[in-house]
Amino acid sequence: MSLDPALAAAQEALVRAMTAGGEVPPGFDGDAVRAAARGILRKRAGEVARAWPMLAASYGPAWADTFAGWAAERPTNGSMRDAWDFARAHRESLPRAALIELALTEARHAYDGESAPRPRRAAVRRVPGGVAVQLRGRTRVMARRS
Amino acid sequence: MIGQLGVGIGWRPEISGFVKELPGLRFTEVVAESVHEGHPPADLLALRDRGVRIVPHGVKLSLGGAEPVAPERVEHLARCAELLDAPLVSEHVAFVRAGGVEAGHLLPVPRTRAALDVLTANIRATQAGLPVPLAVEPIAALFDWPDAEYEEGDFLTELVERTGAFLLLDIANVYANARNRGEDPAALLDRLPLERVAYCHIAGGDEQGGRYHDTHTAPVPPEVLALAKELCARRRPPGLLLERDGRYPPAAELRAELDAIAVAAGLEPVT
Repeated sequence: MSLDPALAAAQEALVRAMTAGGEVPPGFDGDAVRAAARGILRKRAGEVARAWPMLAASYGPAWADTFAGWAAERPTNGSMRDAWDFARAHRESLPRAALIELALTEARHAYDGESAPRPRRAAVRRVPGGVAVQLRGRTRVMARRS
Repeated sequence: MIGQLGVGIGWRPEISGFVKELPGLRFTEVVAESVHEGHPPADLLALRDRGVRIVPHGVKLSLGGAEPVAPERVEHLARCAELLDAPLVSEHVAFVRAGGVEAGHLLPVPRTRAALDVLTANIRATQAGLPVPLAVEPIAALFDWPDAEYEEGDFLTELVERTGAFLLLDIANVYANARNRGEDPAALLDRLPLERVAYCHIAGGDEQGGRYHDTHTAPVPPEVLALAKELCARRRPPGLLLERDGRYPPAAELRAELDAIAVAAGLEPVT
């Protein structure tokens, strides 16, 4: 349902240009629209860094640019899924602290990558050197005995 | 009707302790989408119980979107208002999604009759679901839509006249837009219905690539404080609220910012 189909189409074209690699619609200042889109990517990077500090810290000062490069044509579904999708896509190269952060989140919530994450009652996830355990909302990381 | 609010600061989890300790605070704001109805932050409820006025501030309603506002989003704002004993609720003159795609931020609407019609319908639908008045905030935008049919001041004046909504005037947005368009920020103040301003936002930003971005992650620049002073000389709003959304400075610096706002506005310090 739309209140104004023409305006709806124009707004969608603009949002797609700013978040999904679409062309800037005619009549707009393309440089200004792209600058605004970069500003939004920096804001998203900051929100992910606050929600998943270990993930962002893995990239040090390169975090905002790294995230912006990955997210430039991926519209957001909120900072939690931004963080989660990014972490899963980069799992192979993440250091231990970020992998534990990912494992703890995956122990708390089930996420299929398509729809909103759902809380789990209990779960066990591998982390480097041990396992992350969640039972009724309480999580802890246990080291593997060797 | 809204009453005097004074100098405030936006409540955020990261600065909850700081906000709680402000002895003279009478007014704060919380991002409505961050409030879990079943588990509102205890510090926020303590502020409410102390008599601090709390304004739920929505960021995802998309009043300017060409789709009708989502009833569940309006209901959440209403429940936040009841839970927090809010004097009013605020949202933006903006859209945040279209065609099922989230923009990730507030985007400007075209200054056209068609956009006014959509905003009017959505604001009225929101007002009908709220137990308290609604104030709408013009945003900072790095670009404008082509083929505008209104000047910004006339557009906002007509919107307020049509809907009876209050204005949440963001002084930093007025500054940012004027600076990026090469205009005089004070000129917009002359064209707005200042008697409809419920409260003001004030914040800092930074320049990137020759454009001023209203990031809320930097100190309030002197030019924005000067504009606040100019606004208050015309008509002092009931409240001025500092927004800070990251790169939080030490408490002493935040206190100094709040004091500088109080001085610029001619209001009592809250620190």
